[in-house]
Formats: sequence, C-alpha cells, structure tokens
Amino acid sequence: MTDSVQQQVFEIIAKQAKLDVGSIKPESTLKDLGVASLEVIETIFDIEEHFDITLPEQENADFNAETVQSLVDAVQKSLDEKAAAGNGNDA
Amino acid sequence: MSMADRRRVVITGMGAAGPHGLGAEVLWRRLREGSGMIAPLRHPFQDKLRTRIAAQVPDDVDLTAGIDERTLPLLDRVSMLTLAAAREAIGQSGLDFAADGLGLRTAVVIGSGVGGDNTHDEQSRRLYAEHATRTHPFTIVRLMMNAPASQVSIAWGLRGPTFAVASACASTNHAVIQAAQMIRNGMADAAVTGGAEACISYSALRAWEAMRVLADDTCRPFSANRRGLVLGEGAGVFVLESLERAQARGATILAELAGGGMSADASDIVMPSAEGASSAMRQALDDAGLAPEDIDYVNAHGTGTPANDVTETRAIRLTFGAHADRLAVSSTKSMHGHALGASGALELVAAIGALRDGVVPPTMNLDQPDPQCDLDYVPDTAREMPVRAVLSNSFAFGGLNAVLALRRAP
Repeated sequence: MTDSVQQQVFEIIAKQAKLDVGSIKPESTLKDLGVASLEVIETIFDIEEHFDITLPEQENADFNAETVQSLVDAVQKSLDEKAAAGNGNDA
Repeated sequence: MSMADRRRVVITGMGAAGPHGLGAEVLWRRLREGSGMIAPLRHPFQDKLRTRIAAQVPDDVDLTAGIDERTLPLLDRVSMLTLAAAREAIGQSGLDFAADGLGLRTAVVIGSGVGGDNTHDEQSRRLYAEHATRTHPFTIVRLMMNAPASQVSIAWGLRGPTFAVASACASTNHAVIQAAQMIRNGMADAAVTGGAEACISYSALRAWEAMRVLADDTCRPFSANRRGLVLGEGAGVFVLESLERAQARGATILAELAGGGMSADASDIVMPSAEGASSAMRQALDDAGLAPEDIDYVNAHGTGTPANDVTETRAIRLTFGAHADRLAVSSTKSMHGHALGASGALELVAAIGALRDGVVPPTMNLDQPDPQCDLDYVPDTAREMPVRAVLSNSFAFGGLNAVLALRRAP
C-alpha cells in the first residue's frame, strides 16, 4: 500500500515538475526538483484532489523544504485517518 | 502644476484583443467598415439563459500564444486578454525597457470592472453546486483585480508604479488618466495602461439579465427602438510616454493624450446625470487646453440603453453649446458591444484611428430617429473628415465619469 501511495505521489510531482518519475528520490525536496513557490501549492492541491484528503495546513508550509518522503508519509497518515474514521474527509 | 510646467504625453503603441480577434489595426478596420462583432452567445450554460447574443472573442483565437507554459495556470481569461493586447502595444512602441533603466521608471495601470470573473464563477460553482471542499489554490492570484497589471509588470520587468483601477464601465479611462498624470508630473517616464474585461460568465450574465438592461437582438445606440446593451469582452492596452522621449528616439506617435476629466454624479447609482457627464467632458477640455470648438469628434459612451443615450446627448449639448450641432458623435458599441471596464480601451483604439486617419467610425443599427437624440451620430457608414481633436466618453454605474481628450500627433 505504501509503495502504491508513494508511486502515485511521485507521479503527481513528476507531472508538475515535468520530470521523469524515475528521477524522483525519497530524499529529494520539491525545491531540489525545481517545483517553485506557487507550484508547490498546486502540487499539494493535486495530491489532495487525487486522494480525496486534506493535508494538515501546518505541514503543507514545510513541504517545499522537506523531502518528498515526508509528503508521502503525510498522505499515508491522512489516508489511514480517513480509513479509521470510516468515511471520507469530504463527507 | 501649470500647463507650461508639465510634460506632454503621447501614445506610441496600441494593442487590442476582443470580439474582432487580435490586433488594434484589425479592430480599427472593422470599425471603419461598420462591421458588427455581436454574434450568437457561446456559453456552456446558454440553454439556461435568456441572453442570446454577446460580443465574444472568437473561439479560434489562441489567447495563450506567447505566454510561458508555467504562467498559464496563474491566469484568468482577463489577464490573457491583457497580455495579448500588451504584447502588441509594447511591440509597436519599440520601447526597450531594459535600456537606461526605463523598466524602473515605467508604470502599469490597468482598469477592469470585475477582474477575474470567470475564475470566481467557476470556483464558486465547484463549491456551491458540486459541493467541493476546496477551491483551486491559484484562485486568488487569478481573480484579484490587480492580476492583469501585475502580470504585465512581471512579463516585461516593469517596476514603476503599478496598480489596478476599478470603476465599472469607466475603468479604462480612469486608468489611462492616472497613467498620463504620472508621466506628466515626472513620477514615471513611460506607462503601459488600458483596460480588460472577461465578463461572459454564467453568474454575470444572470446578474445583467436581472438588471433588465440587455438587448435581445442587437445594440442600437441613439435609435428610438434601442433596447439595451450587449455584453462584450476584450482588452486594449496603450503605451504612453512623454513627448520629449518619443521625439528623441524617433518613435511613431499615434496621438497626443492631451487631457482627462473625471467626475461623479453623486446621485442615482444607475441613472446617469447629464450634469455629471458634462462636468467630466468640460474638465477634459480644460485639462487639455482645448476649446469646445477644437473638438471634431466625440466617441460616445453610447450604450444603447434608453437612459444613457438621452442623457449623454443632453450632456454633449450642455458641454458644447452651439458647437454640438457641428460635432460628429458615434457609438462604436453598436459594433464591439459593451466590454464594461474594457469599453474605453476598445473605444480609444477608435478615437486614435479617427484622429490618425481622418475617418470617423459610424454608429450602426441607428434605424429610427429619436427626437431626444438629436446630434449627428454618423449613421451606417464611416465619414472621412478632418479630425483635429476628439473626446472619448466613459460613464459608469455608480455615477462615475471619465473622459479622455486626444489631439493629433504633434
């Protein structure tokens, strides 16, 4: 499951950064990948739309500097919370 | 500041995007020919609307051309129209903003009545109709009223005074006057100014329908059978600079922006006042140092609504006295529709064309005389005549008036 989430997140980032998905490493930051300022916000938005989740505001602010693995982890955490709640965040 | 102290301002570039497609010269040619640009409404929700007609940018016009791929997602249609018009105007001017730090001394003032209305409409629909829980993260940067001005500033690296002006249907003329004032008083050496509007959204169409001012077949300014205005969209952008700079660099001067007048009716929010409109025209003449007898042509606001056309006729008579009967007056809205905040921009193209070529564009669809509209509205066909100076009128809901005075290029 984690690999699948990671793969999907990487594909969304690759599309935004116009990169080959294979070039994205877990330790990369969005800044390293050339995803700048507002594009980071759009990437987060695309990820939220794709998984039908809402990532915490506070963590969003740091995604630019943190690794893409931290983004994957945040997505996984949101998905787990959503599953535990028994219905979607967007009910 | 006395007339002698201030710098004279000239126009050295013009660009337009609108129901004619792209290009200020194309627009001017269509207006000279009396070629109507009002067409059946094209809208995804047109079946829900009573409105059947509009003056829209043709579908085959690529508004994204020349815009960086990474910038495109940040742009509402109103900014795309602005950038298309700005690219043409700046190109025609031949100004090099990188040379001598000119970019630091160039202002950008763009008027719009409603700004990024399509973005606002679309994102609101997502929230309310589709029950989305979030809007697109670029919603704010697309819809903010200063987006067109900011995007022009970013695209050409212009770092002088940059802001938006919003005064409904007078937005362009207010913007152009602000830009000219900054050049006159030395706050800027050049300016990119004009107006843009992309207001053919479902919610805007519904709102205009509710006001009961939309015509159902065409726009007939000053004609007894006029039934209202026809909504349009577009942008017009102009490059202004001091006469000295333009002459020093051997630029082609399209016209002199001789003056501007602004006033408020301070009465009814939608019913125009002849006194308020006349006050703005008088101020424009005084500011330009022109006598009423110096004016040969007035590009009227001429919306085709019963209230506007009679009041504007009275205002012109109040301003010009006996000379009113010797003026050519026309409303090009009969052809390009009413692009609200951008109307003054499309009409400034007409005013410049009239001065430069000595041709007054016609008022189309004027097929029934109205005793209350008794000026020479140049019906049906353009008129070749000497044009020394012109006024271009814009009057807005809210009772705000802004009038430009132009002279032939020195």
